[in-house]
Amino acid sequence: MPTTDLTQIHARVVAVLEKRFGDAARALAADADLSDALDGFDSLAALEYISAIEGEFGIEVDFVGDDVRHWFSTVDRTATYVRECVEDQAA
Amino acid sequence: MRYDTLLRSSGVVSGESDLWCTYAAVRTLGWLGRIEDLPAPETVAGFLASRQNSDGGFAWSAGMTSDAWATYYCTQAMAELPADSRGTAGRPSSAWVWSTAHADGGFAMTPGQASDVWATYYAVRTLVEIYDERPPEALFDWLAALQAKDGGLAWSPAHAKNGASDVRACYYAVTAWSTATGGRGALPWDRERLVDWLRGRQSAAGGFTFQAGDETDCLWATFRATGALARLGGGPRDPEGCVAWIRERLHPEGSFTRWPGYPVPDVWAAFCAVGSLRELGAGLGDVADGVVRTVLSFRTRHGGFTYRAPEFASDVLTTSAHVLAGRFPDAGARDALRWMESCMMPNENGIMYMPGRGSEVRCTLWALSAGAFQGDAPARAAVAEWLAGAIQNPDGGFGYWEGRASDMVSTCAAAEILHGSAGESAATSRRGIAAYLASCETAPGRYANVPAGRPTLRATLQGLRALHRVAGADGTRVGDALARHRVRGGGFANEGNRVPDLLSTYEATLTADVFGLDWDAGHLTRFLDSVRTAGAGFSWTPLMATSGGPLADCLGRRLELRLSPERQALPPLALS
Repeated sequence: MPTTDLTQIHARVVAVLEKRFGDAARALAADADLSDALDGFDSLAALEYISAIEGEFGIEVDFVGDDVRHWFSTVDRTATYVRECVEDQAA
Repeated sequence: MRYDTLLRSSGVVSGESDLWCTYAAVRTLGWLGRIEDLPAPETVAGFLASRQNSDGGFAWSAGMTSDAWATYYCTQAMAELPADSRGTAGRPSSAWVWSTAHADGGFAMTPGQASDVWATYYAVRTLVEIYDERPPEALFDWLAALQAKDGGLAWSPAHAKNGASDVRACYYAVTAWSTATGGRGALPWDRERLVDWLRGRQSAAGGFTFQAGDETDCLWATFRATGALARLGGGPRDPEGCVAWIRERLHPEGSFTRWPGYPVPDVWAAFCAVGSLRELGAGLGDVADGVVRTVLSFRTRHGGFTYRAPEFASDVLTTSAHVLAGRFPDAGARDALRWMESCMMPNENGIMYMPGRGSEVRCTLWALSAGAFQGDAPARAAVAEWLAGAIQNPDGGFGYWEGRASDMVSTCAAAEILHGSAGESAATSRRGIAAYLASCETAPGRYANVPAGRPTLRATLQGLRALHRVAGADGTRVGDALARHRVRGGGFANEGNRVPDLLSTYEATLTADVFGLDWDAGHLTRFLDSVRTAGAGFSWTPLMATSGGPLADCLGRRLELRLSPERQALPPLALS
């Protein structure tokens, strides 16, 4: 369901990470760098993460134009990116 | 061949742990009953576990697809470590191993590839020793078909028809049989002829060679021969001479070297010498301390092992990448090329990934592209003869190394090397390559890496480029493939058209150039901007902020040079 509430988006992003990384994701600081904080967050895991976010929020990421390295490096940034995408879709 | 250049090494050190080396080190310590000497075994377990893919199999390098070789090495080495250091990885299920099985009883290195005895050996040992399962009954018929006319065993039934016996194939087949039956089942070969052939590989000096006609004994062949003979209830023609020859390889530093004249003790020599002395029932007490001390000195900072002291442990791919990226001063590049040229086993004419390992087609292409043997026509001709005359598979394709079933990456690399080679054998070889490429074509103009694999952009471009090299091909299908996998924002994707990667984009640009097709410089520039990292490095995909390592940096740099006003040509590289 589309939402622009950042708190709700944040919680759903964490839930996506929990499916792959379990408790380690739940304990993450919102601004923690995922590749440092999560053991095994390599390029393949990053790809799976972004794909899961696309599925969760019904958005499509531009892997070259959107600076995915920046926007998907922390939970906070991911949530902000998702909110902007959802807002753009609603506009 | 002189090996002086290996003494200190002029190549480039990656500093990474290597699976082949880590397996050999752990098994050697285990055989010596000295696994407790291994500091922080959990770091080794962590390195091994990091090779596991989500399909349950293991890969030789993180991010690669699973294969039987890596799955055996990782699971066996893990089993050797103390139980409390292993974590939870390594024992998910045998399902991935079974996915490589063929109905005829053999196993492939990856699903969809043809069977070979390397893969069959790895799969059988993993199934029986790790998962406590039984291989299929058809295995024994497949193994039986490996005996060649000369009495020895070959890489596959098709190789056996051509009469290409090899000591390693004998060891892998005999050990697969022994593992599956506990050594008590009916032997599927004519034992007397097999034992005679194996004993015939022992030289007067006491060591063994791999094949009839080879001239230089080596520890690798000696280990495999003594292992096969032991499982057959026999031994070398001259066991005392064999033990003496192995002990002559002992270096003053405390461990073993590979063959006469080879100057450096390495991890595979330790593994082979200890393994062989065990098979021969010879004492190890007087060598154990030196071997353990030396092997432990090969640990890297990441917890695994490399093949020699880490500060000297260069490899050919990393060294080629540095040369190709122009990161050496002239004199350094010349020294690096001389170092790579010395990375050859006796009796082989291809270049190895690491010294003392079997020659690999892909590494040979990278080294030649970097400039190895440039201006040395006889050496280049010898490489072509090695490809066309010694290691081409009966299906016409090439595998990573001798005896491994064919795949597109290796076959494309071979086609690039053979491109322009003259002579009857090269012409025959090129016809064989075209036949193998046809077996990987899943639909007109679409190719997979192995005959029953999924089509991808890279396999398609490699197939079309190889076809162009050996038989000629037009660019229409290249254009179609590039259009299918072109990512709107920049670059090309290996699957679909959403996530671009550096390797696919390199292959796309290279292949377009080979076929004389136009491409969009702005599109490539946008992609390179998305993978450029701090310090002039490049990541494999826009997803990561850090360099993908020397190979990624090399490909990115070469694409930059292609975009420069000089428009420097891309070297014809194939990686995965």
